[in-house]
Amino acid sequence: MVTAKELSKYIETIPPAPKVLQETIELLNSGDLVKASIKALEDKALTHYLRTLVNRPIYGFTNEVKDLKQIFGILGLSNAKQILCNYFLHLIVPKKWELFSINNTVFEDLQALLNVNWNLILSYENIDDKDISSSIAILPASIIVCEAIFASKKDDVELLRSVKNIDFNTILKRLSDMDLFDVATQISKKWEMPDNIGEILQCASGIKPSQDPQTLKLGKYMHLLFFYALSSPNCAGTGLNTFLEFQPEFIVDIYDNFSSVIGVEQ
Amino acid sequence: MRAVVKNSIGIFYPQGFIDGANARNFLAPADIKATTSLKINMLLVSLKKVVFFNKNGMDILIGLLGECKKDNSSISLGFCDYDDSKFTTMMKFFKDNYSISLFRTAEVAGLFGPSTSDNKEKNILVYSDDPSQRNAITIELHEHGYNPISTLTREEFNVKRQSEETFYEIVNNTHLGLFGKKIGTRVVGNAIIYSIDGFLDAKMNDIFDMTYHHNSLSVGFTLFVFDMNKVIAMNVHGVNFFSHLASAGAEFGATIAIVGLSFDKTPRTFQEELEDGGVIFFEKLEDLLDNKEIMDELGGDESSIKHSKKSLTKIIVNELPNFISATVTTLEMMTSTKAVKESAAVQKIAIDSTEDKLASSIGFYGDIDGMMILIFPRTIAKRACELLLGEVSDKTEELLDTLAEFVNIIAGRLKSLLAEKRIAINITLPRTYEKINTLINSISEQKGVQVNLTFKGERFTFFLTR
Repeated sequence: MVTAKELSKYIETIPPAPKVLQETIELLNSGDLVKASIKALEDKALTHYLRTLVNRPIYGFTNEVKDLKQIFGILGLSNAKQILCNYFLHLIVPKKWELFSINNTVFEDLQALLNVNWNLILSYENIDDKDISSSIAILPASIIVCEAIFASKKDDVELLRSVKNIDFNTILKRLSDMDLFDVATQISKKWEMPDNIGEILQCASGIKPSQDPQTLKLGKYMHLLFFYALSSPNCAGTGLNTFLEFQPEFIVDIYDNFSSVIGVEQ
Repeated sequence: MRAVVKNSIGIFYPQGFIDGANARNFLAPADIKATTSLKINMLLVSLKKVVFFNKNGMDILIGLLGECKKDNSSISLGFCDYDDSKFTTMMKFFKDNYSISLFRTAEVAGLFGPSTSDNKEKNILVYSDDPSQRNAITIELHEHGYNPISTLTREEFNVKRQSEETFYEIVNNTHLGLFGKKIGTRVVGNAIIYSIDGFLDAKMNDIFDMTYHHNSLSVGFTLFVFDMNKVIAMNVHGVNFFSHLASAGAEFGATIAIVGLSFDKTPRTFQEELEDGGVIFFEKLEDLLDNKEIMDELGGDESSIKHSKKSLTKIIVNELPNFISATVTTLEMMTSTKAVKESAAVQKIAIDSTEDKLASSIGFYGDIDGMMILIFPRTIAKRACELLLGEVSDKTEELLDTLAEFVNIIAGRLKSLLAEKRIAINITLPRTYEKINTLINSISEQKGVQVNLTFKGERFTFFLTR
C-alpha cells in the first residue's frame, strides 16, 4: 500500500524554504523585529498569510491589525518566529483535502489554537525559547503528510479500519518502517530547522519518549495539546481525531497542570 | 467517525476530550446509520483513549447512539474500555439509566454478542457489588454458552482472579442495561442453541435475531435447538413463528428442535402441529446433544458440517472477476507482495496438502448467494495478519481471529464492488478453521470455482461455491 520508497519520493517533492522567509527568520534570530517585518513585506503571500492568521479570534485582538511591524511588535520575537514557521506548512498544505473532511480555514484555525495554547504552556513552564516556541508550528505537518500519503488509498484504509481500530501512524510504520513524525522531522530538516524541533516532534508522537527530561515533558504537553485541539468541535468529526493514536498513559503526570493552564472545564 | 464492527458489535473510538461542545461532532448520524445497517446487536463507545468526559458530553453521545433504535429497537447501547475511576463516574451518571450497558473492555462486551464457537469450556469469573447485576451477568453468560463462575464477595473475587490464567475472561466493573429481551445464543458442536424464556407470542418476531439465524444457515449450520426450559407458555403466534422458521430452513436442509417445553400451559396440539411441519421435540437438551447418532444425522455433530448442493449461477460466474479482485487486492495490500494467478477452473475442491494450512470462509446472500472459502498456507496467513497484529505471530488463536477480520475486509470490498453494479449482498459472520480437513470433506462433493494463486512462491487457494 505504501512503501519506504514512496515516502522518500514524497519528501523529495517538498519545496525548500522561500528566500524571504529564511531571511526574515534570520533577522528574528538576531533579534531585529523591525527589519524582520520589513523583509517579510517583500513576500505578498507571506504578508497576507500572517495578517489572516493573527486576526483569528483566538489571538484576541479587538481591532484588525494590518501593519506587519505592529503584528511583530505585539507578538514578540518568539511568537513572531512561531507564526512564520506556520507559513512553512502553508507551502505544502493540499489545495483540496480528501482524506480528512476539512478545508484550509479549519487547518489554520487548528494551527492558531495550537499556537496560543502552546504559548500558555511555555509561559507556565517559564520557557522562553524561540525554537521551542516554533516547534508547535511544525506539529500539524503530521496531518499534511498523512493526507498526502493516504488520500489516494482512502478506500483501502477505510476497509482496514472498519475491522480494526488502527491509526494511520501505525499503518504507515508497519508498512514502511517510518511513521508520520519521522517524515515530518525529515521535512523540518529540509527546511533547516534546529534539531531540537525534530526531537520534540518525535516525542509528541506519544510513542517515542525522549531521554532528555525537558524534551520529554514538552513532548507530553504537545501530545496532549494536540488531542485537546483535535477534540475541538471543528476537528472532532473530520477524521483528524483518530488519525493518530492518543496515549493517555504517556501524559498522566502532566494532565492536571495542563487542565489548569488551558482551563479544561470540569 | 466510523465504527469498527466485529461480531455484530459496533464500537466508536473517540480520543481526547468529550464535553457538551464537541460530543455531537464525534458521532455523525450518517455514521450511526451506516453502522446500524450492518445488522449489529450492540453499539458502544470506547473510552479507552478518552482522557476527559463530562455528563453533558455523555448525555449527548447517548442521545446520538439512541438514534439507531429507530431502525432496530433491540440494539443494546453502552460504553466500554474504561478503568476503575471512569467506571465509578459512569455509574454515578448512568446507574438508573436502564438503556445503557457498561462493559469493562470490548472483549467483555464481546461475550454478550453472538458467537460461532463452542464456549462451554470457557470459564468466566464474574463479580459485581450489585447482586442483581451479578445474577443478570451470570445468567446472560450462561445463556451464551459460557461457564460463568460467580463470586459473592470482593474478597472471594480478588482471591480467584489471582489465578487469572484459568479464566477465559474476567467480568467485573460491568453493568448490564436492557439485556433481558435478547435471546441467548450459543454453539455446541455444529448446533446453534437459542435459550428463550417467558411467554412465546407475537414478540418472537421482534426479539429473534433473524439475521444471525440466516447467517448461520448460510455458513452451513443445519441444527437449531430452542431451549425452552424457562418458557411459561406459547400461543398460536409462537407456533406460527416456529412453523415459518422450519419451512424457511427446509431449503437449507435445516432442522428446528425444541427441548424442555412444558405443556402445563401450552396445548399439546401445538406440538403435533409443529411436528407435522418438521419440528422435532425432546424433553431434555442432553437427550439430543448426547445422542451422537441423531446429532450426526441432523448435522449437529462437529464433524458433519453440511452444505447445500446448489450450483453456481451464471450471475455469480459473471461476477467472478470481482470476487477474485477483492481477494487479490486485499491480500496484496496486507502482505505487500504481488499475487501470481496459477490456474482457475470450475471443479471440486482440490488441495495438495492440508498440513500447515488455515482457512476462513464467509457467506453472502441477497441478490446472489454463496460462500467464499480462502485456504492459506500458514506462512501467508502470518504475513497477512502482520499488518493488523503489528507483529509476527504464530499463535493459532490470534491468527484465526485476525483471518476472520481479514475475510471481513475482503467481503466488505466485494460488497462495494458489487454495489457499483447494483447487486446488493449481505455478508455473514466469518468462520475460521484450524484444521481444514473437516471443511474440505464437507464440501468435497460440491463444484465451485477454484482459483490458485501464489504469493512469493506459496500457494493460496480461493474457492467459491454455493
